[in-house]
Amino acid sequence: MLQVYLPITEISVNLAVMLGLGAAVGFLSGMFGVGGGFLLTPFLMFSGIAAPIAVATGANQIVATSVSGALAQWRRGNIDFRMGYLLIAGGLAGALIGVFVLKVLREAGQAGLIISLIYVALLGVIGMLMLGESLRAMRRARAGKPVAARRPGQHNWIHGLPLKMRFPRSRLYISAIPPLAIGWVVGLLTSLLGVGGGFIMVPAMIYLLRMPTNIVIGTSMFQIIFVTAIVTVLHATLNHSLDVVLALILAAGGVIGGQFGVRAGQKLRGEQLRALLGLMVLAVALRLLLDLVLRPSELYSIAPLFAGG
Amino acid sequence: MRPALRLAAILLALASAPAYAAKPGQEEVQSDISMREISIQSNFTGIEILIFGSVDFSHAPAPDEGVYDVIVVIRAPDQPLVARRKVRVAGIWVNGPGKTYPTVPEFYAVLATRPLRAITSEETLRTLGIGLGNLDFGGRTEGDLDEQTFRSAVIRLKEQQGLFQDIDDGVSFIGRSLFRATVDLPVNVPIGRYTAAVYLFRDGTLVSKNESTLEVNKVGFERLIYLLAFRHPFLYGLLAVVMAVLAGLIGWVVFRRE
Repeated sequence: MLQVYLPITEISVNLAVMLGLGAAVGFLSGMFGVGGGFLLTPFLMFSGIAAPIAVATGANQIVATSVSGALAQWRRGNIDFRMGYLLIAGGLAGALIGVFVLKVLREAGQAGLIISLIYVALLGVIGMLMLGESLRAMRRARAGKPVAARRPGQHNWIHGLPLKMRFPRSRLYISAIPPLAIGWVVGLLTSLLGVGGGFIMVPAMIYLLRMPTNIVIGTSMFQIIFVTAIVTVLHATLNHSLDVVLALILAAGGVIGGQFGVRAGQKLRGEQLRALLGLMVLAVALRLLLDLVLRPSELYSIAPLFAGG
Repeated sequence: MRPALRLAAILLALASAPAYAAKPGQEEVQSDISMREISIQSNFTGIEILIFGSVDFSHAPAPDEGVYDVIVVIRAPDQPLVARRKVRVAGIWVNGPGKTYPTVPEFYAVLATRPLRAITSEETLRTLGIGLGNLDFGGRTEGDLDEQTFRSAVIRLKEQQGLFQDIDDGVSFIGRSLFRATVDLPVNVPIGRYTAAVYLFRDGTLVSKNESTLEVNKVGFERLIYLLAFRHPFLYGLLAVVMAVLAGLIGWVVFRRE
């Protein structure tokens, strides 16, 4: 089997295994229509890659996959650029904070711990929500009731905020603050966890901003390209934690795996898909949690001391 | 402490070349490494190097007489290191306060004809800094109860990574004066200028020492990536983004369904 030496991670990995990992995550993200970063980073950590490298490299990999996706959405006119710019501006602010926080944590030897803890909390909550929601939908479907499409009300507290802007593409007239805030949270998550953040951004845009669903996906992908790109550059510059060789291998696997995932996803029903993804997300959260609570076989660890700055 | 210092001074004087070069007929050790340069490329999976040498003016009557002992020490430059111990906080294992060691060799292998303590006294080994137990990591805090457990953890972890090696029978004599030793440099071998020191002992006394150097470098693509990432990190990040965008574009073009 072909071994590839990763110049920044400074380990040698099996090319087929890493391509397979990228393809598997790409397959899942194509099948479920999610970014997959929240699976990729933990999988990289499970395979022995240091958490900060997994985060920066994961972000870089997402740039590649979201470019493909955003182009397809752009061709269909599904991007609200004005909304996208606000989300990116908020994302930049969040990313700057997150990258700096990770740098401090890394020097204190706590990066892996904090990244794992946030992942456990986030994946635990999301996994349970998805599983619960899809089980209810399945039960309803079996009882013969139509799957109720929730009709959001026309106004909510968002409309009371100042700095209102027009978003013609989304047919909205709302404050600039919520998009900036959503972007900020996503930027923070991207820089700390190496995720695109679509799983937060998409529901927030649908339920908080009341954007049309078809425009939500494209706009979120548009934002993800730029914020993951910013995070990639920031991590490379401040933390030296980006492994471009690993990112390219993962991206190649991801692009190919994604295509098969889309096809597989079309053969499964929505509720079943979400239940499956929910279970998987919970399994990853559980594994991360076990790594934190079980007594490790080796209590000691060593790391090079970063000189200053 | 005082006698040890005096001994150190004596041995240092002994170790300086003219002390034994001046006496004709006294044993001298010559050595070299199978390769002076190691290049790390993308297909690098570790490498075995050979250190060989000979004893000039050998007094050994026969190959299996065992008059001489050879200790080979291969060492990379020092690096500051922080060691941490996990402690349990609210049911979760977290890294507790760490200990900093300013001068831990990034790589250290000691090979010998016999177990080190059978070759010479612990005193001599300590003065010469030979053996994993005699390495000076710096930052030693006297009287600290944890000191020994942290120190041995650093050594154990480095051994697990293949970056510290202690091989009792790593050096073998071929004939009366020729000897050889092989060292496995693992895939994670750090870059830098290594020294390979060869010590010749007779009856527990150091009679000669020889040193050669070895360069471990990343070359080609690996070197480019490494230099970019650490010297021009901003440019490196930008290039990574450009490559990702290109990969995404290619993916879109190849798989697009109109």
